[in-house]
Amino acid sequence: MTLSFFDQFMSPTYLGIPLIALALSLPWILYPKPTTRWLNNRLITLQGWFINRFTQQIFQPLSLGGHKWAALLASLMLFLITLNMLGLLPYTFTPTTQLSLNMAFAVPLWLATVIIGMRNQPTHALGHLLPEGTPAPLIPVLIIIETISLFIRPLALGVRLTANLTAGHLLIQLIATAAFVLLPLMPTVAILTAVLLFLLTLLEIAVAMIQAYVFVLLLSLYLQENV
Amino acid sequence: MAGHDAGTQHQFTGIAKYFNAYTITGRRNCVLATYASLAAIALFFKLKPKKKPAVTEK
Repeated sequence: MTLSFFDQFMSPTYLGIPLIALALSLPWILYPKPTTRWLNNRLITLQGWFINRFTQQIFQPLSLGGHKWAALLASLMLFLITLNMLGLLPYTFTPTTQLSLNMAFAVPLWLATVIIGMRNQPTHALGHLLPEGTPAPLIPVLIIIETISLFIRPLALGVRLTANLTAGHLLIQLIATAAFVLLPLMPTVAILTAVLLFLLTLLEIAVAMIQAYVFVLLLSLYLQENV
Repeated sequence: MAGHDAGTQHQFTGIAKYFNAYTITGRRNCVLATYASLAAIALFFKLKPKKKPAVTEK
């Protein structure tokens, strides 16, 4: 079987049994549940601190109606950041490189924000499709452009996460292969490539965290417009 | 924005009272009017009878 650089993105199966469900449930088993004790251990305290801090940060600009989404967006953030970071381990499948998964998150959540806006405050929701102070001849054009940009949002959300992670993983594999192949031929260049690989890995760790944050932040912004 | 009037200070008369780019209801009405126009154009082209090409005898 000829291996290609895209094999790492194939949904994992074992003897015909798809393992994607296992891959997706892995983050759940990694986080311990807070106990009924008043003071928990250090790990659970740190975990709780991070979740509270993140939730405060995201929901500070939102009105009270949007606070219902706190559990959903906090758990989404935790899920995405864990999947992204676990995927950086060698030979580990990253579910967030699959467009289907990212679109499955982006489309329903974006649609929910739009429906909430249309249902609770239809005038504001429709009025936002025309920027204030637009000159009269530009009004129809701008409305069409704003409508297109509204519908492009879920696509952008899903593709942004997919493309960032896929590109990062592909680059890591390419540069690692280059370093490995160059080692017997040009050791100095191979060492420089290995240094580049190390820096790239650091970048990918940052990208993994940032992309998860950006996904959830944008959803909270879309919610802010509609709540 | 500095120097920009607030939407509530505008006094519109005539059609601009309902269709303007400053008040929230004006913007909403412009959006609805644009969507209605696009729907009307689409409906017009859909319901327009298609001309059949003339049959010529050889």
